[in-house]
Amino acid sequence: MTTRVTTPSARTRAPLATLLFALLIGLALVCVASLLYGAGDVGPAEAWSAIHGSGSADARFVIGSLRLPRTLVGIAVGAALGLAGALIQAVARNPLAEPGLLGVSAGSALAVAVALVLGADAATLRVSVAQAGALAGCLFVLAVARVNGVGNDPVRLVLAGAILSGLLGALTSMILLIDQRSADDIRFWIVGSLAGRRLDDLGAILPSLGVALALVIAVARPLAALALGERVAVGLGHRPRWTRLLTVIAAALLVGAATAVAGPIAFVGLVVPFAARALAGPDVRRTLWLSLILGPILVLAADIVSRLLVAPSEMPLGVVTALIGAPVLVAVVRAHRMPAL
Amino acid sequence: MIKTVFMPARLMMVAATVACALGTSLAQARTLETAYGDVEIEGQPERVVTLYEGALDASLTAGVTPLGAVATRGGDGVADYLGDAADGISIVGTARETNMEAVIAQRPDLILASSWLPREQYELLSRIAPTIVPPSEGFSPEAWKTEARLFGDALDRRSAIDDALKTIENRSQSLAQRQHDGDTGAAPVATVARWMPQGPRVMSSKIFSSGLLAAAGFQVDDGGVVKAGRPHSDPLSLENLSRIDSDWLFLATLNADGEAALDAARQTPAFERLDVVQNDHVVPVDGQLWSSASGPIAAEHVLDDIEAVLDRRDTNE
Repeated sequence: MTTRVTTPSARTRAPLATLLFALLIGLALVCVASLLYGAGDVGPAEAWSAIHGSGSADARFVIGSLRLPRTLVGIAVGAALGLAGALIQAVARNPLAEPGLLGVSAGSALAVAVALVLGADAATLRVSVAQAGALAGCLFVLAVARVNGVGNDPVRLVLAGAILSGLLGALTSMILLIDQRSADDIRFWIVGSLAGRRLDDLGAILPSLGVALALVIAVARPLAALALGERVAVGLGHRPRWTRLLTVIAAALLVGAATAVAGPIAFVGLVVPFAARALAGPDVRRTLWLSLILGPILVLAADIVSRLLVAPSEMPLGVVTALIGAPVLVAVVRAHRMPAL
Repeated sequence: MIKTVFMPARLMMVAATVACALGTSLAQARTLETAYGDVEIEGQPERVVTLYEGALDASLTAGVTPLGAVATRGGDGVADYLGDAADGISIVGTARETNMEAVIAQRPDLILASSWLPREQYELLSRIAPTIVPPSEGFSPEAWKTEARLFGDALDRRSAIDDALKTIENRSQSLAQRQHDGDTGAAPVATVARWMPQGPRVMSSKIFSSGLLAAAGFQVDDGGVVKAGRPHSDPLSLENLSRIDSDWLFLATLNADGEAALDAARQTPAFERLDVVQNDHVVPVDGQLWSSASGPIAAEHVLDDIEAVLDRRDTNE
């Protein structure tokens, strides 16, 4: 992979392998911290011995059944959101594009609201409901943008996404105004959280994550060629329309899966690609790799903060990512010349 | 000619005024101390609108069915526990928002509100009819009794409220006695919580239902996680569930089916392994009743739930 990177900016930057290695070490550290720190009484020292199989039964339960699943879910959610953000910004050629524009978050929120009104319980709500909603929302946006139009004109997609997200959001609000009980339940889903997620939930989204990853591998090179211009891409034998369509579908699958398991989580899909470009330059193939690792780092770090800020309670993850993400974004925008797309 | 017709008419008016004055003095024109100053009410109100669940409950206890009331928290109508007693009451808003036009449409002669009614709303409402806002006592498990008495005075049916409160006091005392007789150790510890997938919200030991639990001989414990002046905690981390692992856990749910909510909670391993769950000492209760309502009728229903717990304990032993 590294040998193929030949864009001029890439030569002046650190080799991809070095960056990836450094980030992987960072991710490993965050994962360990995620196992060691929590809102409960099990401190880092006790957690450390529990990881090694000793320690009290309580400590082993907290590590094995609470902190380990949420760490794994956090990795999956962060990777999916980071990757989806990088894909969407590349395909829209707009650094402000974010996965929410696909109607995915709005679609799954509507699906969850409908399910709650129909009598589902927030505690037993299956991941599949939110995921179906996410895909339906995305297809809705694609239909409005006209699938053809997506291929030719990314601006059309961004506009359709903004309008449709607004419409779906309004529908959700309307349902919740009519049904007060659901409004009470959905308040907790809508801010996003990793708490109380089980490994089953992770298993339920693995198929769509797998399909999405296959798509990403398929479109990475055409997408990078597309950044050089439509004609160059066609000259290299790629088909821009198909590239864009497949990219959008991959992003929808990724965000749909992440939203289904953790609820809507703000800012990750927007901030992570920015940080990745600041580190690795505009080549989408490098950005994708870095986003894949930066996403989990950001989500897990935010999750650790969410556990510690208001212990013994927890702050919703979606609130923390927004609180961390907004200043990071401002810093990136002010400190660097905006990396072009 | 004109005079002869007029004289009897004037006499009748005088007579009517006298009768009217007599009537009001019989029904006592009374001055009530409210959060927004003294309010004077004459006669026995008949067209009552309640903007607070505690006021609706007190009004029904006093034998007055309000024309309008607000919906229970998390519901579209009045709380389910009121049953048929609340038939035919129009909904004039939610706990958060009053529909002024709907209130006016009822042409009330008395409005009963909650102690947290904002002054702006009070100014509007008091132009429609005398509006009773109980002075705030903060979060206190006894506040509902003071409120009920005030509403009773406003309705001119204080004795019905006093009787109901007396009955409740006697009943809680006998439950506390039974609690004490059956258990020689310390008072059993009870926690009231609402289950959320990411963690429970623990209800304050200062709310209405907690007060009744205490009166019935339980020691109410909020795990030290509810901040002062708040009705409940933020969602507690699943790592800290041991804080709700009391002798009895009352699980308030806004769903009609409490058992389903309990099953849902049991899918969380951290909940399933609590002693209180393993001992089958989790009691699903109606969240509208336990975490939102107050008043004498609600109190009887909460005591029903508590009595059922004592029955369960006694049959198991």
